[in-house]
Amino acid sequence: MLRVEAINVFYGEVQTLWDVSFAVNPGEIVTLVGSNGAGKTTLLKTISGLLTPRSGAVYFNQTRLDTLASHRVVELGVAHVPEGRRLWAGLTVLETLELGAYVARARREKKQTLEWVFALFPRLAERKWQLAETLSGGEQQMLAIARSLLSRPKLLMFDEPSLGLAPVIVEQVFQVIEEINRQGVTILLVEQNVSHALALAHRAYVLETGRVIKTGRGQDLLNDPQVKSAYLGL
Amino acid sequence: MTVQDLATLIVSAILTAGLYATMSYGLALIYGVMRIINLAHAGVMMLAAYMTFWLVAVLHLNPFLAPCVVVPTFFLLGLAMHRFLIRPLGSAPMIASLLLLFGVWLIMQNIAYLIFSSDTRSIFTQYTLWTIHAAGIPISFNRLMVFAAGVIALISLHLFLTKTYPGRAIRALAVDPEAAILVGINTSRMSMLAFGLGIALASLAGCLMSLIFSFDPDFGRSHLLKSFCIVVLGGLESFVGVALGSLVLALVEAFSVMWLRAALQDFVSFALLVLVLLVMPNGLMSLFRRRA
Repeated sequence: MLRVEAINVFYGEVQTLWDVSFAVNPGEIVTLVGSNGAGKTTLLKTISGLLTPRSGAVYFNQTRLDTLASHRVVELGVAHVPEGRRLWAGLTVLETLELGAYVARARREKKQTLEWVFALFPRLAERKWQLAETLSGGEQQMLAIARSLLSRPKLLMFDEPSLGLAPVIVEQVFQVIEEINRQGVTILLVEQNVSHALALAHRAYVLETGRVIKTGRGQDLLNDPQVKSAYLGL
Repeated sequence: MTVQDLATLIVSAILTAGLYATMSYGLALIYGVMRIINLAHAGVMMLAAYMTFWLVAVLHLNPFLAPCVVVPTFFLLGLAMHRFLIRPLGSAPMIASLLLLFGVWLIMQNIAYLIFSSDTRSIFTQYTLWTIHAAGIPISFNRLMVFAAGVIALISLHLFLTKTYPGRAIRALAVDPEAAILVGINTSRMSMLAFGLGIALASLAGCLMSLIFSFDPDFGRSHLLKSFCIVVLGGLESFVGVALGSLVLALVEAFSVMWLRAALQDFVSFALLVLVLLVMPNGLMSLFRRRA
């Protein structure tokens, strides 16, 4: 479904990704783990077109993404829940959600999608007239996820969805991700909460200083001695 | 000073505030979406005034229909300016767009000197001297119509920004461009639209002002500075803030006439600007936002 082929990405003159290749199959939950600065966010930004690789290619089904304008990527069915939620202050919950369905394909199905999303997040339905910035941290994360769902993604990418949230809320976020996947959306998850992410994922890639150093089933990596000592502190 | 005088002064200040809000909101919209300070704002107001003069004095169009021609023309000009001047700048630092638009203003001024000469013009219509008396307060019909036109434009813009997809996209873009891209908003097209709207508002302000004030190719300079004062007062990106800033400036100007000579009115707005920057650099809205 998603194929990243040997991409090299630079921030200015600094290379942050080196020959990174990986793939996501339809229906999977794939996670990218790695420490701070390993290049996880860069990788997601490259897929959604916010950054352009200097070499290599990104394919979604048969379409090449890295040569497309970034707003076209959403139209194809790839959505990205950015790190830090990035909600718009001054817009209400409902306005935020409706903007989530901005692309023409999603706008046609907006009504049904809204019903689906409100069933998934009843709290947002209660608060739809509130300004986004007045929600609690957990609710804001739910709104950021809901906004991306309004674009009717086939592939949904999460960047650190548990960042800065209380443990109870983190639990809820992971349950929601699992639920979304069960309803047929393929998931690419970037997380610093390594144990949680690996437990959830079908497959995982370990990223270190801009390179993929390990790959395998989530459960296997969870038991991998190297991963255990480097990321789980065991 | 009688109650009647006070009421007259306040009504006149409110009418002026409507005009001020129209001219400032264009500046605030462009800044909010693109972080560009449009120094050509004054030039646009001036050219719109001349176009109105031409439509009304030469073609004998009803002055209150003039905006229907002027505003769409300048909207298209704004789109073209964005496409051929602003977009090529890409992500260059702010000073580049500042200088570029200052240059555009100078060019507009010199074109106006060339075509219209430096003579001062004014538009005299059948409405110019009309006065309505409401509860004993004299109100110039011209000013009332100008106020109404400005308010209608601002309300339409507000509805556009809150109710439509492109309008909401422009607001989202102003708050967080990257998040806007991630929902599929074509940011360069939306900033082009915002720039066009900003220029259109400036032209509306110029068109309306030409019905009240006399003008020459240097027209708009002091109004640009007043707009700066208003957006600083209003906190730059908020609709309510701009309206409030306009009202404060108009009131301060109106009441200063009681102590200062009218010729010193410009001094009042700049004194206010300096004062606000010193005392509350985040503008009036910071008084309402009491969160730490």
